[in-house]
Amino acid sequence: MARTLRWGVGLLLVVSLSIGAFLLLPFRSWLPGGTVADVPLSQVVNGTAFNRLFPEPDNGDQLVFTQEKRGFSEARLKHDGQVKALLAISDVTTAPEARKKFETSQSRLQGWPLVEQGPQATALLVADRFQVKVIGQGDGLEAEQRQELIGRFNLRGLAALQPALPSGPRAALPSGQDSAGRQSLERVAAMEPAS
Amino acid sequence: MSSVLERLDRLPRRNLTVLAIKGLSTLVPGGWKNITSADGLIADVLGSSDPELIRQVRERADALSRARHEGYGRALSLYDAVNRSQKAAGGLRLLANVGGALPLVKRVADLTPTSETLQAADLSLKVAAEMLAFTQVNGLPGDSFGDFAASLGEYAGEARVRMAALICFDALLPLGDQALQRLDGLLGGVSQRDLHQLPAYAGMASMLPGRGDGAHLSFLRRGVDQWLGWAGGFSSQLGLTGQKAVQALENTLGPWQGSFQQMATFLDAFTDTYQHTGVQAVARRLVERAAAEI
Repeated sequence: MARTLRWGVGLLLVVSLSIGAFLLLPFRSWLPGGTVADVPLSQVVNGTAFNRLFPEPDNGDQLVFTQEKRGFSEARLKHDGQVKALLAISDVTTAPEARKKFETSQSRLQGWPLVEQGPQATALLVADRFQVKVIGQGDGLEAEQRQELIGRFNLRGLAALQPALPSGPRAALPSGQDSAGRQSLERVAAMEPAS
Repeated sequence: MSSVLERLDRLPRRNLTVLAIKGLSTLVPGGWKNITSADGLIADVLGSSDPELIRQVRERADALSRARHEGYGRALSLYDAVNRSQKAAGGLRLLANVGGALPLVKRVADLTPTSETLQAADLSLKVAAEMLAFTQVNGLPGDSFGDFAASLGEYAGEARVRMAALICFDALLPLGDQALQRLDGLLGGVSQRDLHQLPAYAGMASMLPGRGDGAHLSFLRRGVDQWLGWAGGFSSQLGLTGQKAVQALENTLGPWQGSFQQMATFLDAFTDTYQHTGVQAVARRLVERAAAEI
């Protein structure tokens, strides 16, 4: 009896210790769900890199940055204290479903696919990776005005941006196919003399 | 844990908190709209009521608020901690007011943190929570300090009613009309023991920069210094005083006979102003991001 009790107490201690360690020690950052879509932060371009690519505001307009996170930067275009539009650049690595809408797109801006989303939003996909978006606020903007705004972003600079680490799954994919192809060729070559 | 937009949908449409904010908002130009519908907010930001687009934005917003690194959920837990602390302190003070006359509960009155120093420490914690929540939600926007300051001003302007509530309910009513001028002096008197009497401090200590109570105290004082510059200009521009705040509140809450301090205690104990407007502010920023990312 005393022995089972000892085992019970010991087991209880171990379980409570491991639960306590799990809850109290900083293991949480290792758990999945810390980042959007579980994409490692190093594969997402930091929002700081986007800031200098925003358009210079016209005379009388004002550009106020409002959010800057990994893979995202947003600013408000204001005129006389009224918000005219939200301007944003995002890295679609964490939102692959955002790419889909560009597949059927017919219109192009500086060679990149352009999509209208509802009456007030226009989006552009640069280098199959960065989404530039303008959303009209308040009284709203015409589609031409929004496209003109998108055109004034430094799109060339955006396309030239490189992710922090080139070892993303997209970069790994072609090399993987390559080595697989080479392997099969070698196998064929090795088989030939045998047959 | 429920997402930010779920919490927005669950906010009350009409209760004491809403009435108090509505009353106060008559002092602030531009007024206040009680946004309690996530779909309505999305449609407003997107300028479209297409159900498919709204569904996409909502899905994205939920994914963002579930991700711990993005900080939206953390900002809400900051607001929750502050709110719990405010309610606990308010409840105790209320008990002290009621129980002061009864010999049995009189001892409670001796325990309650009614001193002005504690009130000042409470306010500084709220201001600090506000700044921490700002960086959690928005990151550090822009490339220069000027950009960051502009961004902070933009956020405060968007939350004018929220800031007015903070100034009136937590500074002018409990500490008097000279509260903002006196605050620095009062904070100088806050000791590390006082800090530990505030329930919110325990919840926030791990998120405050610096190690130890001394470092936290100096962070609070520096944060409040920055905020005071802005808040002083804001309240003199609107001409905020305790008297005006009570008058504005009487429009919606009914006549008030007691003192300003009692009003502050009552509001602390029975309303969730800070949390209510906090959820709305975070939800707006979250939706603006999600709309740009879909």
